[in-house]
Amino acid sequence: MDELLEQFLIEGRELVQQVSEDLLTLERDGLSPARLDSAFRAVHTLKGSVGLFDLAPMGSALHAAEDVLDAARAQQLGADRGFLDPVLACMGACEAWLDAFERLGALPASALEQCRQLEDALRRCLPGARQAAGGKTAPATSTGWAAALAATQAEAVVAAHAAGLAVTALRYLPGVDCFFLGDDPLALIRGLPELIALRVEPREPWPTAAEYSPFACNLCIEALSTATEEKIRRVFRFVPDQLALAELPAAVASAPRAPDGGGEVGARMLRVDTTRIDRLLDVVGEIMVAKNTLAGLAARVAAIDAGLGRALADNQITMERLAGDMHRAVIGMRMVPLAQTFRRFPRLMRESSAELGKPIDFQIHGDEVEADKAVVEGLFKPLLHLLRNAVDHGIEAAPRRTAAGKPTIGQVTLRATRRGHQIMVTVQDDGAGLDPAVLRAAALQRGFGTPSAIEALDDAAALNLIFAPGFSTARTVTSLSGRGVGMDAVKAAIEEMGGRVSLISEPGHSTSVQLLLPRATVITTVLTVQMGEERFGVPIEAVTETLRLPVTMIQPLGSGEAFVSRGRTLPLLRLSTLLGLPPTQRGGTIAKLLVVACGDGLVGIEVDGFSERTGLLLRPMSGLLVGMAGMLGTAIQADGRVLLILDLPGLIG
Amino acid sequence: MSVNLEANCIQLLGDCPVGDAEPLLALLQEAPGRAVDLTKAGTLHTAVVQVLLALRPEILGRSSDPFIDRWIAPLLPMQRSG
Repeated sequence: MDELLEQFLIEGRELVQQVSEDLLTLERDGLSPARLDSAFRAVHTLKGSVGLFDLAPMGSALHAAEDVLDAARAQQLGADRGFLDPVLACMGACEAWLDAFERLGALPASALEQCRQLEDALRRCLPGARQAAGGKTAPATSTGWAAALAATQAEAVVAAHAAGLAVTALRYLPGVDCFFLGDDPLALIRGLPELIALRVEPREPWPTAAEYSPFACNLCIEALSTATEEKIRRVFRFVPDQLALAELPAAVASAPRAPDGGGEVGARMLRVDTTRIDRLLDVVGEIMVAKNTLAGLAARVAAIDAGLGRALADNQITMERLAGDMHRAVIGMRMVPLAQTFRRFPRLMRESSAELGKPIDFQIHGDEVEADKAVVEGLFKPLLHLLRNAVDHGIEAAPRRTAAGKPTIGQVTLRATRRGHQIMVTVQDDGAGLDPAVLRAAALQRGFGTPSAIEALDDAAALNLIFAPGFSTARTVTSLSGRGVGMDAVKAAIEEMGGRVSLISEPGHSTSVQLLLPRATVITTVLTVQMGEERFGVPIEAVTETLRLPVTMIQPLGSGEAFVSRGRTLPLLRLSTLLGLPPTQRGGTIAKLLVVACGDGLVGIEVDGFSERTGLLLRPMSGLLVGMAGMLGTAIQADGRVLLILDLPGLIG
Repeated sequence: MSVNLEANCIQLLGDCPVGDAEPLLALLQEAPGRAVDLTKAGTLHTAVVQVLLALRPEILGRSSDPFIDRWIAPLLPMQRSG
């Protein structure tokens, strides 16, 4: 993609987000001048960038939004916050237009009419005088000239942006008769501060030499400057009507900058294509694997020459530490706060709430938790679906809530917590909940199994029916959810990222959907366990302790077995059973157990043996194996063999 | 007079005001192969530059005026060896 366009899309979305946040804060906390300023500046910057592309309707809608915010800043709108709605609607439209522009390279056909309505709604907020003038407001001077200019002068633009400078494009069309009037257009350009590029083209094709008139100016002068708009305008103060300006979107965006002095912040940030980081990560991963062979090598050398072996082992430990540091640093570069996705939801929830006429209080917790960029971005669609579901199907209509003795305002909460190498994201609502009986009935009606199989499902399994492809309990299809993407799509999206989905519901009170996802591919310390001929890895964090227990201490309990550890009776499971392997005979007098946390309690898992702990690069399951229950991923061992890494809590279910 | 013809080369001398556009044009129309020497030129009026842009004579030498040399010369068919 064109670099300029790419930057515009990134910055455009950030600005839309900034305005949305400012407006929601204004709505919640009252009109504060600082927030109004921030929103105004962001809209202004966005409008400027939009002018570079063929986005005229978007430009004029933003122009109207800018006027409204400007009037609000000047306290011409009084204490009335009615202007927030149309400006928010405008931001929603802009976001959709940016998506469409990225996808299609143009605005959708409906944009023109939508923009007209937005503009109308916005201008109605303005005091009478300005509203009347509104119709005559010059349309945004959006043409492709600035983008074309920037494209031909990309080197100068990139260099200026790299230096943290804002670049303004200008187009100066001197009058045909300007030489007669005593103008010298290039003399103005000569006086232009901080000129970084100049293009001079004929407005009309040059005539033949014989027909050339030395008295008619036929020039279109375009230039780029890093000076402020004000300084540029001052140069052209006698010919303002012949000048058009457009600010080029900055390469380094720190949404919305203060009018001056923003450059310093920008220069400290660097946007790097994620594929470059990924390449780096691949190399680091290979170093990690290569380094693992050193330990074996050191042991072999030690057998021949103890001193040399020790030296090599010391070296190997240093390498180990450095490679680990490097790996963490690179992983860290891909780590972004969940806020990058979460911050988009308040405005969307506000829209859903308004559309469905269900007042809600939407809370976000834990958005500072960091995860891999791919995970953070990949969460947007599934979470949007879950949140809309919560408003649409979870939260009851106000009369039903009142009848049930609940507050009229529904609660929807989005919460993230870090759990070691995983993150848990929960969407919870205090709505009607899901009734397992209703789900069973629906499953029966839609032929999702034989009556006996469906009747046999326990409540938790019945709730999980909602994730079955094509299963939906919605009675009516609203414009929000129920567009053919159901909970099965959510489940598929989360599993694709190596995560798991679960649902808890208290009929009449709440529904909570939990997403458990890996934060990233990370080095995991793995305990290798033996089961028959097979070896498996278990992340060390999953193991509370390892026990060697005389078999006499294992007691039958019901259909299973149990043992006493530290005064507590714990159930005992055999790994072979959990994995569906043929049962093995317990050999010897000592049983080897892993004690694992499962739910609120502990469980003992019997294995045939456990050996070393190693740091391995855990790769999530890919391809056909994605979503295989009980498997976290694979890792390559020092000897090059692949080790399956088990998710013990997942296996226990 | 800051437009001067020597051999088949038009010299621009010192600052060239708007009035120089017409004689420059006339010299170029007279014999299309003539080159223009900027070595001794100072500032050039837009009208003069426009003649050079439209008729595209070969340019010899570099102007001692930094603005012309940095920004205008690259727009012209320059022969840098002069």
